[in-house]
Amino acid sequence: MRFKASIQNITTFTKLTASLNSLGPLAWVKLSEEQVCFTIIPEQGTQVWAVLSIDSIFRDIFVQSAANNVINLEVPLTSLNRALKSALNATSAQIRLTKKDNMPMLALTIVTTASSNALPPATANNDDGFDAPFDDEFGRGNRETIVTQEIPVRVLAPDTVAGLHEPQCRDPDVHIVLPPLMQLKSISDRFTKLALADTKSGSGTIASRTRLELAANMHGCLKMSIRTDALSISSVWTDLNNPELDPSQVVGGENGIAAHPSTRMKQLGSADGRSDEGWALVRIDGRDWGKVMSVGRLGGRVIACFCHEHALVLYVYLPQDDGDNESVLTYYVSSYSA
Amino acid sequence: MDIEDPPILTAVSSSARQLYLLLRCITSSTKAHVQISEEGLKFSVDEASIMEASAFLDKSLFTTYNFNPPTPQRNPQQSDDSEDEDLDPPNTTPTFQISLPALLETLQIFGLTDPNTTKQSWQTSAAFSNNVLGMNNLCRISYNSLGAPLSIILTEASVRTQCDLTTYEPEYSEDIPFNRQALAFKTIMRGSWLHDALSELSSTSPEQLTMYAKTVRGKPFFALSSSGTLGSARVEFNNQPQPSAFRTPASTNLAAGAGTGTDAGEQAPTNLLETFQLLDPDTVLRSSYKFSLIQKAARAMSVATKVSIRVDDQGVLSLQFMVEVEGGASGVGTSSGGGKVSFIDFRFVPLVEDGDEEGEGVDETMMQYGDGSDSGTGREDEDML
Repeated sequence: MRFKASIQNITTFTKLTASLNSLGPLAWVKLSEEQVCFTIIPEQGTQVWAVLSIDSIFRDIFVQSAANNVINLEVPLTSLNRALKSALNATSAQIRLTKKDNMPMLALTIVTTASSNALPPATANNDDGFDAPFDDEFGRGNRETIVTQEIPVRVLAPDTVAGLHEPQCRDPDVHIVLPPLMQLKSISDRFTKLALADTKSGSGTIASRTRLELAANMHGCLKMSIRTDALSISSVWTDLNNPELDPSQVVGGENGIAAHPSTRMKQLGSADGRSDEGWALVRIDGRDWGKVMSVGRLGGRVIACFCHEHALVLYVYLPQDDGDNESVLTYYVSSYSA
Repeated sequence: MDIEDPPILTAVSSSARQLYLLLRCITSSTKAHVQISEEGLKFSVDEASIMEASAFLDKSLFTTYNFNPPTPQRNPQQSDDSEDEDLDPPNTTPTFQISLPALLETLQIFGLTDPNTTKQSWQTSAAFSNNVLGMNNLCRISYNSLGAPLSIILTEASVRTQCDLTTYEPEYSEDIPFNRQALAFKTIMRGSWLHDALSELSSTSPEQLTMYAKTVRGKPFFALSSSGTLGSARVEFNNQPQPSAFRTPASTNLAAGAGTGTDAGEQAPTNLLETFQLLDPDTVLRSSYKFSLIQKAARAMSVATKVSIRVDDQGVLSLQFMVEVEGGASGVGTSSGGGKVSFIDFRFVPLVEDGDEEGEGVDETMMQYGDGSDSGTGREDEDML
């Protein structure tokens, strides 16, 4: 079982692990030469199933195993994130699977060039790291620091992960492109704070009072609201985009779209968000939502799929230089009952 | 019902921040009384009936202000409080309570999204951004009928936030009586000076604040003195800036707490105390208040341009702050452009003088110092006083 790769985009990888880490401490990482999958299944809260194209974080990947060249690992995200943070200024970084005292480890080798005055800073900031190794190898009189961070991991047998499946969800009632997540987060955090500020005077558990209601319609509206004894507050975004369904992706093609729940939802509601009809609503925990929103730092496009009173599925598309291999993070947030 | 009765209040302000800055000054308790009248909105809070604070949002702060007094017959659903109904009909100013922290948080929602909208280019181009057009802070306050929630609607770009604040029955509370007709003392000074003085005094975390006012040879003299377990300190305000350079050391001699010479006379060539009226100029007015309560007015002091300090014959202290609100809405509004002025009022019930030795002691020290400076230590002080 062998795995070795250069990290192409340390910043993205760091941000990714940081936002995943907010949802759970352990990730199931599935490595193959085509893609790398990060899956977080916390005991409670939001599940993440992220599928990343190799070149969004890695380069020169080599994966070899007895099981169809797929390696499954259980990785502690806090350690991984901490290790990656120390690599933020690195000229290059490499990750590979090793063994130490019979313990499997992910070894992160970070090469940093101590910048002497003579060194043009461009080398250090060279994002794709293409020239850097050569410069370093042939030496320009720079001192090179190599740091290796080892992260203990657990290798998961194919049988172990065979039982893990991505949640199945019925066709969403509403799908909508979310406004910038950081904006959404700032408002939802404020809502949660409002609800908690009221704690002293009211009753009920903390979990029940930070319950956000999130709803959207097929007319470009998103509504976020929270209710406490003292107030009920809601923010409505309008003029958002409801992407059209692609007939080739829907079971049954054109007919499938005609029968799709979202087509029915289009008949209801209005674009100014004032109508009571046509909303697909989910109830989520405000603090959990805040954690999900932290993926906003990756700056991707987010499509939210609402299954009324059932679940919310977020597809976060990472910004990609080449449009071919899209990386997508899928968040499954289940709705609380009323 | 909606069709029959127009909403009791619809008010639109183009600056939620303005309202926030004013209301923030009185934030001390969780619930605030709101009184709606023809002239504006009055928000008031009280603390154990020994302090009350109120902020008045004049209707000129709003670009639109429509008040329709409710008809005397109240809604049938409010049958449980028949006593109130008996009391209320002649009084057509609806009063209720709301959660003040909730209101403040709501008004601040813009503070959060504003920087985002300016930073992010997903919006329209900068020239037409809502920030430039001054449209970003539109805030609509409405109160439909008695018992209905107070709705705050904030609009910004493509986000509309509506907050319905639950309105609670007003608590029966009497205003702290303040007799404007029988003022024992009145002075006006800059709010920041009072703020400076108070923050100087607060360093020893005192328990009470005593106010002295007297006239010495026709010249006003005003002092704030704090006392607590860690000691006491005093800040004095003397009118008549002294041309002499010796004035400052002399007056620090005067101050009981060494470091408290916030003798703003140095900073101000003009009169420190704009107005100074003492009912009985021959005696020293002395009145004590709980320091922690006075401190609740600190935020108002820091933003106020002027403060009018009044004490009535019962010792009740009234601090009235004149706050010049930033002219966010001035261009649009019906007002005369420029800076609009709002008032924030605080009232404090004095601590009862038990006439014990400690109290007397303070007084004596005060008098000693006063006499001492008058007669001996400094000629300059004599002149000043």
